[in-house]
Amino acid sequence: MVDVLERNRVTVTGVPAGRPMLFAHGFGCDQEMWRFVAPDFAVDHKVVLFDHVGSGKSDLGAYDPEKYGSLQGYADDIVEICRALDLSDVVFVGHSVSAMIGVLAYQRAPELFGALVMVGPSPRYVDDHGYVGGFTRSDILGLLDALDSNHLGWSTQMAPVIMGNPDRPELAEELTNSFCSTDPDIARQFARVTFLSDNRADLPTVAVPTLVLQCSADVIAPEPVGTYVHEHVPGSVLTHLAATGHCPNLSAPEETTAAIRAFLSG
Amino acid sequence: MDAASDQGPDAQGQLDRLLDEDPADLYENAPMGYLSTLPDGRIVKVNRTFCVWTGRPVEDVVGSRFQDLLSVGGRVFHETHLRPLLRMQGAVREIALDVVRIDGSLLPCLLNAVEVRDEDGAQVLVRATLFEATARRRYERELLAAQRAAEESEARSRTLQQVVSDLAAATTVGDVAKVIVERGREALRARGAAVLLVDEPRDGVTESPELHTKGVDGLPPGLIDELREAALGQLALELAQGVRSVPLNEQLRLRQPRLAATMADAGLSELVVVPVTADSRRLGVLVVGLGDGHGDLISLEEPGQTKGPPPAEVDLLWTLGRQAGQALERARLHEETERQAERAAFLLEAARMLAEAVDADETVQRVAHLAVDRLADVCAVDLVDEHGMVRPTVRHRDPARQHLADELRERHLPHRGSPHPSVTALREGRTVWARSLPQAFLAEITHDARHLELAQELALVSMISVPFLSEGRPLGVLTLAADAQRGRFTEADVEVAEQLALQMGLVVGKAQRYELDTRTSHTLQANLLPGVPPEVPGLRTAVRYLAATHGVEVGGDFYDVVPLPGGQVALSVGDVVGHDITAAATMGQLTSVYRALLVDGPSPSATIDRLQASWSMLGLQRMATALFATLDPASGQLAIASAGHLPPLLFSAGSAEFLPVRPSRMLGAPQAPAPATQWAGVLPPGGTLVLFTDGLVESRTADIDEGLELLRAAVSRAGTSDPDELCDRLLTELTGAHRADDIALLVLTRLP
Repeated sequence: MVDVLERNRVTVTGVPAGRPMLFAHGFGCDQEMWRFVAPDFAVDHKVVLFDHVGSGKSDLGAYDPEKYGSLQGYADDIVEICRALDLSDVVFVGHSVSAMIGVLAYQRAPELFGALVMVGPSPRYVDDHGYVGGFTRSDILGLLDALDSNHLGWSTQMAPVIMGNPDRPELAEELTNSFCSTDPDIARQFARVTFLSDNRADLPTVAVPTLVLQCSADVIAPEPVGTYVHEHVPGSVLTHLAATGHCPNLSAPEETTAAIRAFLSG
Repeated sequence: MDAASDQGPDAQGQLDRLLDEDPADLYENAPMGYLSTLPDGRIVKVNRTFCVWTGRPVEDVVGSRFQDLLSVGGRVFHETHLRPLLRMQGAVREIALDVVRIDGSLLPCLLNAVEVRDEDGAQVLVRATLFEATARRRYERELLAAQRAAEESEARSRTLQQVVSDLAAATTVGDVAKVIVERGREALRARGAAVLLVDEPRDGVTESPELHTKGVDGLPPGLIDELREAALGQLALELAQGVRSVPLNEQLRLRQPRLAATMADAGLSELVVVPVTADSRRLGVLVVGLGDGHGDLISLEEPGQTKGPPPAEVDLLWTLGRQAGQALERARLHEETERQAERAAFLLEAARMLAEAVDADETVQRVAHLAVDRLADVCAVDLVDEHGMVRPTVRHRDPARQHLADELRERHLPHRGSPHPSVTALREGRTVWARSLPQAFLAEITHDARHLELAQELALVSMISVPFLSEGRPLGVLTLAADAQRGRFTEADVEVAEQLALQMGLVVGKAQRYELDTRTSHTLQANLLPGVPPEVPGLRTAVRYLAATHGVEVGGDFYDVVPLPGGQVALSVGDVVGHDITAAATMGQLTSVYRALLVDGPSPSATIDRLQASWSMLGLQRMATALFATLDPASGQLAIASAGHLPPLLFSAGSAEFLPVRPSRMLGAPQAPAPATQWAGVLPPGGTLVLFTDGLVESRTADIDEGLELLRAAVSRAGTSDPDELCDRLLTELTGAHRADDIALLVLTRLP
């Protein structure tokens, strides 16, 4: 039996009896992405954070290229986490690619979820006939190259040290860029799965209250994409943030928090 | 003072002056790009070095967002990694980014940055330095490429090792095909793969080889047919061309619309055709179907553009094809050896079974059964009879499909001109081997739509018809057919079929001769026996004749009822020794002579004496036993004489007993001193006389006394004096399904 909570480095904080909020980080870093947002909700919610397998301090040994060759593999993990923690009426907050992972998790087990919050979502990054995703195929190739050029201080010598001593975070601190550092092969496959998936057809299946948070000047999920998501998720709420870029959870945590709270209380 | 100390203070001063730099100059012309941005990336300050490197005027740079000056990949990386890291750890180091120069070219850089925070920890400014890293990045890229190549090469050699060890374990052609399909598919991470093999080469055949599918996995069923058709028989030519790629593009759509459509439906973007060879012999092809992207992901290739597999993979596939070829030959050899052993066992089994068959029909059924058990999927046997051809059996290997075979049997109406292999084989007296059964040929050899449908439903791919002969005379045709699953017949199969037909010819010929003899004998015998006994006033008579149940043997048993002038009736029952046509003929002669003697009205004992006396003159070759009697229906006066025959039984007033007729020597037996004696008595009104041959009392037991007692008891029990009824009762009770001897039975009742 896999220890799901260990595998995904799940942390639970906040009010045990509160409504559960599950925060899922996107492509790039790890659950630290929520460090400015999660504490605010911990006041009145049960806050669950985790790292996707292959990211942050998750169990890299659990990374199965076959399973994580599609977003569904990640979605299945989320369902497992919810079940392991016996959660229900979950508010799933997914950043970037995790917004779509949330949709797939919801499809797999709709009974677990009470609301979806999508931060900078995109159902398809690559342009298609009559659809603007913001990227051409050669853009994606460029991205994969950029990834290859940045191993972010990853060292196969250091990896076992970090992974083998989770109780000694100072070892990890010795690595630069540790939050966003992972095995380059995993990073590369996660990038492929993230940027080459097409989940447009899944959007209309969502039947829980959904918030779409759209940032300004977001090169990864530009304006038309957020609008597309809003239009295709029935009854969803679209909120524009003044925050620029793709990570309002870091760059504008107050605004992000406020928007989510407004949605949840609305 | 030496020269150095002379220059010392002066040089030191110069150095001091140089080091007393203008901070502005140091910033502007530092050997690195230097810029400061607001939290959203907007550049508020930049040095001259950066502007010179990028060719961008300072006024353009200031006010732009830093991320907008990056390549697309860099921009995404900036958002997903750089900014989050800055926020979380306040600094980043050695981030590789490409800055876009004003002319569009890329400037590979390494970036270090720190975040300037206010008292609350909020980001107010980002300071970044950029170092040009063109050479270093190129080196890294080359290193990375080399590492990738090494990894791929390792993966390929792992694949090959796996293939070699898998192939070593594969002992059948099917196993080999499975390994190639599986590994070929894996090697290219393909949607599916199939192996097509050239039919095993035959001597003296130069026609373009045909390919049949041996293993397929993950490819749609119609694809291989489409491919074969699209290649118009040239698929075999592909074998000569090395690894080939068939991309789904405009050209293919134009030239092979159906193949293109099938590929599109299956989500395939390209087919790769790999020759399977052994020592330059071309054995077949491996077809690998590549899909759009991996799994459900969007392909990175522009729609409609495929590059084909990279050279390293082509090499791998080529090697895979060669390894597969070697393994295939090995497996074929192995299979052939096994097949030969199987064939020998099969023919032995066939010989054993055929030896046990009692007649032609059973022989045919047994052969058909055996053939579909081991050799073929369908077996049909045609026999020649006086009316032409009949088809006693068609069998299918699978009982669930036997109904199709049955229908085929009923539908089969071969006529002399038919090109059907079975007809040709019979007409020309030679084996006809239809190696393949193309649609057109099937249409030719079937005679209506349903017949064709049946043939198609059975999915037959190959057929062998072998005539079987006896003494040069064609007796029939053995036809075997194989379906797609079994694959086509080989030369060796034909040999087995021929040997089987040879055995069949011998056995069926013998059985047919035997049956003919039997039929002739029985016909003769039936003709020699008198028919229904004539009506005699005052008597009721019944006769029965039962032939032995097996063998061609006919008996010389007889009975006779002849009304004599003066109201008397002459009765006789007898049995000529032997079970053959001579016995039957002797019986015929004997009864004729006997009738001729009756003209003089001799007593039964005189009849015996006269027959004995003239026996040698008559030239009768066999001895015989017989009872002769005369009866006066009016008075019941009965006289009986026996020539070595069993006594008659009298049933009267509820009790049955044998009459004490003393037997004299058998007819034709060597002379003995005593002449025939005669028993005389009265058959009371209502009394019944039973005359019989030994077959009746020897049916159930070999002990004659026991048999006689059984008969007596049966007659007593019967409770009827109706002759017909009594005949039936006795036969039912005393004879079994198998009779070794004929039975003649004559029963008469004197009406009260």
